[in-house]
Amino acid sequence: MADSTLQPTSAFSHLEPTSLPGIAIEPRENFTMASFAAGKGRLEALAAAIREAYGVELPRRPQRVVGNGIVFVWLGPDQWLAIAERTNNRDLEVELKQRVAGLASVVDQSDGRVIVRVSGPLAREVLAKGVPIDLHADTFGVNAVAITHASHIGVIMWQVDAAPTFELAMFRSYADSFAHWLLEAVASTVPAAA
Amino acid sequence: MRIACPYCGERSLDEYLYSGDATVRRPDFASPTAQADFVKYVYERKNSPGQHRELWYHAAGCHAWLVVTRDVSTHIITAVEPAKDVALGTASSMKDTA
Repeated sequence: MADSTLQPTSAFSHLEPTSLPGIAIEPRENFTMASFAAGKGRLEALAAAIREAYGVELPRRPQRVVGNGIVFVWLGPDQWLAIAERTNNRDLEVELKQRVAGLASVVDQSDGRVIVRVSGPLAREVLAKGVPIDLHADTFGVNAVAITHASHIGVIMWQVDAAPTFELAMFRSYADSFAHWLLEAVASTVPAAA
Repeated sequence: MRIACPYCGERSLDEYLYSGDATVRRPDFASPTAQADFVKYVYERKNSPGQHRELWYHAAGCHAWLVVTRDVSTHIITAVEPAKDVALGTASSMKDTA
């Protein structure tokens, strides 16, 4: 039998990286992602283990921090999402299970969720068409995290930089529905897209 | 109606699920009076006007269980606390009365 290598397929069947005046959209590919939740009574020990391994403080409110190439996103009380580029076959589930053994439950999310990056001066205006929270820079700034819904699709979103750049993560099977909404929102906001 | 999640901030009602009275406690099924206790637990509710303590679940948000103190006549919410803190007796409303 011939050797075969499995190649990951994008969950977005129609969404290509798009750049328009004021907004750019890009599905993120090739990342490794794992969620982890502190064990009962293990929260402080878990925070210490992450601090020692990655030099960052796990956020206790809806924020993100970056340490050693890993983005840690607050995912609810005592829960986080860790995301990194899958370079050199990096696998966060394996890595975190070693680092926080006995302190937290670690679950791979790499194939379960997709991430879309939305950036540019019009990003807020476009996202505000479907996200029911206040995205004004005074309220939702760099490193802010929100778990909410966009066009009725559950999303975890965070702001990466002041461009502003946002990333939204959702369950993989919603990728096309979300992309459909996003492109409609862009078309009704950006004159060049219509 | 909007509920201020202690973790996420103020969010619209559509992110939450109402999950009933936060003051009732599930009876012991092994008790000799279990049948009567469960009838009382499941069916006998006062449904009075005024302030209620209610369980709400932040389903489309951080998945936290909350105890919301709400006046069912006016919808005015006077407290939102993590249900975990209420169960452990560490909620701020409990410290006040301790």
